[in-house]
Amino acid sequence: MANGFFTDTTICIGCKACEVACKQWNELPSDGFEFTGMSYDNTLQLSGTTWRHVAFVEQDGAHAPDGLRWSMMSDVCKHCTHAGCLEACPTGAIVRNEFGAVYIQPDVCNGCGYCVPSCPFGVVDVIANLAVSAQFSTATLHEDRLRERQTALQGHGGVAGKCTLCYDRQRDGFVPACAKACPTESIQFGEIEELKTRARARVQKLAQRGVDASLYGVDWDRSVGDLNAFFLLTDRPEAYNLPSRPVLPSTRQPAAYGAAAAAALFLFVCGIAIFGTKT
Amino acid sequence: MKSYFNRPLLKKPHWEWEVVTYLFLGGVMGGSGMLAALAQRSEDEPLERTSRYLSLALSVAAPAVLISHLGRPERFLHMLRIVKLRSPMSMGVWGLVAYGTFSGFNAIAQLARDGILPRWIARLEPAPLTVTMQALFGAFTAGYTGVLLSATAIPLWAKGKYHIPAMSVCSAVAGACAINAIALCADPSGGPAQVKLERFEACAAAMELAILAHFRAYAGETGKPLFEEERGELLRSWTIGAGIVAPVLINAASQARRKHSKRPSVVHTLLAGVLTLAGGYVLRKVLIDAGKASADDPAQAFVQPE
Repeated sequence: MANGFFTDTTICIGCKACEVACKQWNELPSDGFEFTGMSYDNTLQLSGTTWRHVAFVEQDGAHAPDGLRWSMMSDVCKHCTHAGCLEACPTGAIVRNEFGAVYIQPDVCNGCGYCVPSCPFGVVDVIANLAVSAQFSTATLHEDRLRERQTALQGHGGVAGKCTLCYDRQRDGFVPACAKACPTESIQFGEIEELKTRARARVQKLAQRGVDASLYGVDWDRSVGDLNAFFLLTDRPEAYNLPSRPVLPSTRQPAAYGAAAAAALFLFVCGIAIFGTKT
Repeated sequence: MKSYFNRPLLKKPHWEWEVVTYLFLGGVMGGSGMLAALAQRSEDEPLERTSRYLSLALSVAAPAVLISHLGRPERFLHMLRIVKLRSPMSMGVWGLVAYGTFSGFNAIAQLARDGILPRWIARLEPAPLTVTMQALFGAFTAGYTGVLLSATAIPLWAKGKYHIPAMSVCSAVAGACAINAIALCADPSGGPAQVKLERFEACAAAMELAILAHFRAYAGETGKPLFEEERGELLRSWTIGAGIVAPVLINAASQARRKHSKRPSVVHTLLAGVLTLAGGYVLRKVLIDAGKASADDPAQAFVQPE
């Protein structure tokens, strides 16, 4: 069984309840209180300590007959079928858990940071100093996660952080905090196949109303595979800061190893020619 | 192309000087292992000595720098709990472990040969095997760092999936030639080896230059963070000017002058060697910094290189 998110951007009202619920449940520290001045988006991006991010896409022109159209979208870790971060992780800290989610075990992570550039969606980041969040009470964390967090907190040194798909809540039979808090059911949680059926029906319904919507991360031909957290979009992915063609980074390895081996072989041949067999 | 307020799509690595230094030292380390095998094959004793000792010294120093960037050094051990073929970082760690082991065997044998350890130890060494393994893992450690960079989503590194690994190996060999030539200054009979190292270094440097030139044309817009503005300047002045062209000229001048003496002058060797090493360091630094800049450009990240 694999669970995931279906995030329907057409009914997101940009209230950011998902961001708040996520921070609160997961005991994540703030990233500072700064106004960007460019839009109502003061969160700007997902990070090691921000696991939901509501983007405020402001559009004019063809998309907005009334002058301006807002499209809000609650971004989250995609929990890819073939996850770049999971493949890159040299410690095995990043695993796929029994709910089909990509999960970082903070007590196993060694802070190398290789998962960060390995995510084609720019989701994972290193929490430079998790000790900051030690000030927070850890009252709501599940016992196991509390233990993991405390192990990771010993001493200094960063660990990678991202959405856990509320692993602890799922184990206790609860819906992830963001989905629970969403007032419009823009964020839906459930079994992926069921969510996909629901999402396809939603696209058809919108089409009948003349809204051109498409699913991002469903039935697509990409090396990352389908996304366990997928989206319904009404514009091109780029407008939401999503890659239109994400590539699983590990697919480049055969070419890269081949190039290195070819160079080494060539240099060995040169070296043998130069050094000869005897001085 | 329409983007989201031109905000970066990708996250950049938080790697600082420690990782740059590791990439550099790890390359010189691996290159020295390759030289150890070439020296053994040509029975070049002075080069065998320097390459084996330097290999061991660097296989301690390079991981030490790498470990220091983890914040809590003991967490390095977390990487030894699994072997993961899909992760170049995991493969690299095991490559380092293997390389360090074989370097250790060969350095111990060398210590015995040099009379620092009891001589009977040298007889225990199955030399062709351990030196061959050292060379193979040396080539691996010199090249995997390039694989590691290209197996990320960073557009510049991804685009360089052929160029960056090959370039890493070339730069590693050039750096290893330089540092071994410098070390050979202390050996009265190191002259012939130094001359050969000069030639081998020129060979590797020429290949590195060719790959860089081709990468620039091939990468196009994606290559801008590496080849333009201040990073491009650093690359041209330090990596290419000081690290590739200058040493070749210095070595040529040295060669012209030594019609009567059999070995390159110490000044020439030192100067050429230090410039080569500096060029190699700057190449790694610029590559990492350019990768970070590349991550900031959403337009390059929307359609990612295959």
